[in-house]
Amino acid sequence: MKDINLVIEICGSAGEGTISAGEILSRFMSGQGFEIMSFDSYPAEIRGFGKCVAHTRISSNPIYSPGKLADVLIALNDNHSISQLSSLKENGMLIYDSQPPKPHEEDKSVVGWAKPGMISYGIPLNMLAHKAAGNARGMNMVALGSLAWFLHVDKQKFTDSIKNRYSKKKQIVIDSNVNSFLEGYAWTKNNIKKIDPYSFEGVKRSQQKEKLIITGNQLVAQAALDADLSFYAGYPITPATKIMEILSKELPKHGGSLLQTEDEIAAIGAVIGAGFGGKRAMTATSGPGFALMTEFTGLSVMAEVPAVIIDSQRAGPSTGMPTKTEQSDFESAISGGTGDCPRIVLAPTDTKSCYEAIVLALYFAEKYQTLVVVLMDFFLSNSIKNIEIPEKPSLKYLNANIAPDVEELKDYKRYKLTENGISPRAIPGTAGGISFSTGLEHNEYGRPNYSQSCHLEMTQKRFKKFKSVLSEAPAPEISVTGKSEFDIGVISWGSSAGAAHEAVMTANKEGINASSFSSIILSPFPEKEVIRFSDKCKKILIPELNFSGQFANFLAGILKRPVEKLNFITGRPMASEDILQKLRDM
Amino acid sequence: METINSEYLDEKLSAVRDLDFLQYRSKDLPTWCPGCGYFGIVDALYRACRELNLKHENIVTVSGIGCSGRTPIFINSYGFHTLHGRSIPVASGLKLAREDLTVFAVAGDGDALGIGGGHLPHVARKNINITFLLFDNSIYGLTKGQSSSTTPYEMKTSSHPMGNPDTPLNPVKLALAYGSSFVARGYAGNPQGLKDIIKIAILHKGFSFIHILTPCVTFDKENMTWKNLKENVYDLNVHKEKKNMETALRMAENEPYGTGIFFQDKKRPHYQEILKNMVSDG
Repeated sequence: MKDINLVIEICGSAGEGTISAGEILSRFMSGQGFEIMSFDSYPAEIRGFGKCVAHTRISSNPIYSPGKLADVLIALNDNHSISQLSSLKENGMLIYDSQPPKPHEEDKSVVGWAKPGMISYGIPLNMLAHKAAGNARGMNMVALGSLAWFLHVDKQKFTDSIKNRYSKKKQIVIDSNVNSFLEGYAWTKNNIKKIDPYSFEGVKRSQQKEKLIITGNQLVAQAALDADLSFYAGYPITPATKIMEILSKELPKHGGSLLQTEDEIAAIGAVIGAGFGGKRAMTATSGPGFALMTEFTGLSVMAEVPAVIIDSQRAGPSTGMPTKTEQSDFESAISGGTGDCPRIVLAPTDTKSCYEAIVLALYFAEKYQTLVVVLMDFFLSNSIKNIEIPEKPSLKYLNANIAPDVEELKDYKRYKLTENGISPRAIPGTAGGISFSTGLEHNEYGRPNYSQSCHLEMTQKRFKKFKSVLSEAPAPEISVTGKSEFDIGVISWGSSAGAAHEAVMTANKEGINASSFSSIILSPFPEKEVIRFSDKCKKILIPELNFSGQFANFLAGILKRPVEKLNFITGRPMASEDILQKLRDM
Repeated sequence: METINSEYLDEKLSAVRDLDFLQYRSKDLPTWCPGCGYFGIVDALYRACRELNLKHENIVTVSGIGCSGRTPIFINSYGFHTLHGRSIPVASGLKLAREDLTVFAVAGDGDALGIGGGHLPHVARKNINITFLLFDNSIYGLTKGQSSSTTPYEMKTSSHPMGNPDTPLNPVKLALAYGSSFVARGYAGNPQGLKDIIKIAILHKGFSFIHILTPCVTFDKENMTWKNLKENVYDLNVHKEKKNMETALRMAENEPYGTGIFFQDKKRPHYQEILKNMVSDG
């Protein structure tokens, strides 16, 4: 059986149903037993006819990155699609509207810009939509119908996917969409001679296990609920808002509560308040909100109160590019704020690991009485992937507070200097545990104290308590093990890790001796493991989505050797193709 | 215990003198200046807790930064000294996560109306069930006498040696305008009266705002001095007209030294009740 690996892009104007068409395609393909990863790009403006692109990769095998270039481009809007042609492979396939309502001027027609090697199919999208439903709204469905015929996929099942998507709408909406789809399918079948090679007939499907089709944001909310989150406070910000929207509905059903605050300072303040009360609490934001929250991060560290902040990074600095992805909050997450301020930083590497990261974040925050920052990004937050249903966290991860025993409560020291640096924590309501917490430097009783010895001992304590964190965190992922030497080692983090892994696997097939290393935990960093890995590699490559190489600069201090950086700030997710090219060039 | 002076409180003597309320006082020596109005405020707080017989371990006092920020240290209960201006959000999160606790948020005038001024409207309109005590001495005391949001116009301060160019805010008027369901004013020089207000505020289900007139004996020698306050403060005696917003606003405007309860809406549900009703209504 042959494998399939196809990237399809639908390009249109905001409001043309571009994103919904992409979503239907992804869900259908997942239901057919394929691996999918899809990612939309859209403008920050709600209206204004901005360019939207729904990007979907479909494969028989596991997918680690969204794929840089498309095999198929569906142009719902010629104007926007002309610029999107640069993302279509040179021998790619283009579906365009052959009878737009107003004929295009010569240089405004997408087909006029198609390169000679491309296969272009003109389908009267607009006309067929009118024929099927009386207006142009169904153009996206006509295009899907046409695509379904080209790809030789199950027409009936595809129709079911459309019905499912609109099941909560009025019957007329369902009918219009289905009719448009069928019209596109029939017209293409009757009028077009297929010359492209893309077909799903007889291709290998991946395992048929039940899968969850989900975005990173949705999975974060699910993980938080499964990990006994009691309280969420937040302020709307792209691309993190969806987490709050889901929890606003779901959290009260689980006995928790949610507060939409007046700003991000209040959000993290309320989270720390709830954490002080012994409850699991978190907030999610993006760079500009994280900047405000930095005011409170020091208090969480100093007063040793659990708090979890998710920073879904977007392109910065300042307001930056709100709907574009980047990995440029690394330094801010690791060390943002004032003073010696150690904290735990986790960065999921793919959709699935978002679940693990949130469960761990809430567990770590509670057990180590600390701030935990989870670094996601626009791509991880919004891209859709089909994954296996994650296993719910075991009891160990749901109840992690180390409480004082009877003996300790006789003369309770909230900040007792212990061997592992963790002081047993009495939460309010505990008789005998009455204590005072402050952002001021303090002694073991929590009383303000500015003596040299106290500041030194307490600072040491706040660093020391993270010693056992690494033993509880997932081990770094290394793609090729067992070999004693590599020409190139690729070290990556966050959403770039999948692309790095995929690039290394392809490079290995081409005969390049490379391996890849990534870790979900960034602070504390698994230094021993990364040094061991680095020692095996002649060259080190660090790809990431920021300009200055923030992670590379951080690693250089640990590895104490020159490293090669590979940086992109295109606003798009990391492409394995770009890393592969670099591996070939090295 | 190294920093705690166990001689400070003679428990037996307290009992004889009917000073039982002092059990709510911690054993730490206050760091406030001798003669500070804050002694009167915490005295009223101890008495209110005693009369309501609150369990020590079920009280949490959350403070910001400034002289008032130290308040939780001197209360024998759980305490959290947070950031400048931020006692309200921290107390809100705490109360929403732990409904069983009695939560006080305390703040000074700079804390509550300056740096933290953005939080007040929202805690009021959400009606989160905490008791908020605004220690208003109309000056930044801990940083040595700069103008605050309630310093009178033209008063000379260390940040405005030629006189304060800013018009002061009216805290009670703001609290009313923001939609607080309980608004009162107390006076540090009248702990018994303030205690009565705090008691009603604790029992009030919703956000309760208490504006407290209190002198800074070190950095304010002309405005809110003990002498001036003693001469000007009076009891409003308006306990029967608690629901009339129009009257309350007029009093807030015209009676800056009047103490008592300006407004109370007992029927309005607090934030958690609203959420619970919404969940049960589907």
